[in-house]
Amino acid sequence: MFITQYLADEHRKCDQFYADVEKAVSEGNWEEAERLFDLFKEKTLLHFRKEEEVLFPEFEMRTGITMGPTQVMRFEHQQARDLIQRLEEALKNRNKEEFLSVGESFMVLIQQHNMKEEQILYPMSDQHLDREEVVMKLSDLGEV
Amino acid sequence: MTGNLNLLYLPPFSIVARFFLTACLFGVLGVLLGFYMVLEGRFNLPAVVHTYTLGFAGMTMLGALFQMIPVVAGGVIDRPTLKATIVHVTLTLGVILFVYGFMTGDTLLVGGLLVFCAIGAALVFMIPPVFRLKSHTPTSKGIKYVLVMAGLGAGLGVAVLLGISGYLTLNLQRIIDLHLVFMLFGWVSLLVVAVAFQVIEMFFVTPTYPPLIRERFPFALTVLLVAKVLFPETYAPDVGISLLFIAFALLTIRNLRARKRKVRDPIVYLWYIAMVLLIASCLVFPLRKVSEAVFLVFLFLFGSFTQTVIMAMMYRIIPFLVWIHLTNMGVEKAPTMHQVISQRSIWIHVGVHLVSIATFLISFVADQTASGAYLPFYLVSFLLLTLNVIRGVLIYLRLSRS
Repeated sequence: MFITQYLADEHRKCDQFYADVEKAVSEGNWEEAERLFDLFKEKTLLHFRKEEEVLFPEFEMRTGITMGPTQVMRFEHQQARDLIQRLEEALKNRNKEEFLSVGESFMVLIQQHNMKEEQILYPMSDQHLDREEVVMKLSDLGEV
Repeated sequence: MTGNLNLLYLPPFSIVARFFLTACLFGVLGVLLGFYMVLEGRFNLPAVVHTYTLGFAGMTMLGALFQMIPVVAGGVIDRPTLKATIVHVTLTLGVILFVYGFMTGDTLLVGGLLVFCAIGAALVFMIPPVFRLKSHTPTSKGIKYVLVMAGLGAGLGVAVLLGISGYLTLNLQRIIDLHLVFMLFGWVSLLVVAVAFQVIEMFFVTPTYPPLIRERFPFALTVLLVAKVLFPETYAPDVGISLLFIAFALLTIRNLRARKRKVRDPIVYLWYIAMVLLIASCLVFPLRKVSEAVFLVFLFLFGSFTQTVIMAMMYRIIPFLVWIHLTNMGVEKAPTMHQVISQRSIWIHVGVHLVSIATFLISFVADQTASGAYLPFYLVSFLLLTLNVIRGVLIYLRLSRS
């Protein structure tokens, strides 16, 4: 399996997890929203961890590029984590407006981040790394 | 592939801000011109049309391209601020003189040539990085075609200008029609299509467009435009162009309806409205030569489609850029998108926008366009857009300085 396909599939799943939470929040279904948020947070952070612990180090080791795309991706992961924390606070406070506003920024950030990964980093990884081995290592960390 | 690493670069906020803000002000200026014409009792179509096509739509699209070519397509525009300043200042001055020229006849040629220089400079700055890309997404491929079409459309515009000024002898009506088709469909609409391939899926989490449309749309349009040049008096290329854009609009509506994000979002509604207007204008487009009234209806529907898409784009791009630039500067808890431009103010604008379109259509059907009854609604509409964009820019300036 290609790394691009494996990780792009995870992006689509995380999009769905977020869309489910957003729908529950917009309907004022707070208990359901909290349950769905936990799932969204767990899966999104797992996806970040898989990239940061497996893909990025492998990519940097093989290509020698350490200050390029992987650094930017780590930085954007941190921005996304900060927003997830703000989402969690808004959810705790039952603040629908704040949740949807932070969520909008989160979604645009994450979509343009995913676009960069899917257009640059993943195809480069498929080109330079042993893709079967990398996909196996990614799978070992769990399923999104 | 390494060329695309520039996707990681974010151009300065001032570039998009200056183009968008100037575009909004041209929108307001266009309405004020409308009031002036109502008072004078003389309607000047080219002056109004070019205030919107160049001052509002062209200005927005060039600003958006300075942002999108590096961020979405991955092409390097070095010294972007200097280049954007050259294009922005020349275009602003050019549009003012050009529109004034249509009103008075004094500065038409110099204004038109300045506009041509602005578009020409933008193409000189943008074509090399886009054509140097080693791999293309449907969006970057679309932008490649858009830049060529813009050059051809602007060239046809200069030919019209030289024809009007008596420097060239040509079939003026035919060249004006080709200029219109290249600019409205090859430039404006194709850019909307190319951008939609990326942003509709990205912003609303929708299914993707069919690969055939994503990959072949620009080429199919080029074939139709070439047919239009070769057979300018036949209906087939016009019908083909209409069908192509109607297919795109229907697919966009289908994708939006199937979006995963079900939250009530005014920007989704703006895209729906835009697509309905695009379909309506495409239905009228092949009939535009039947009478002046039909031609005006086509221009109005197409203009409304463009205005609606621009509203949708500005209301997404400005708040996101304010947030991301401030966050990158280390501003803690930078205002998120709805805090920069509230959903409520966008909803109000959507309402005013619909009322302005409806009042114009009612005035038109009742043969009362000369009364200008729709103008106050348009004034409010463009002022709302301007104030919302200014609000975003002021938040950025205040927090970036603190």
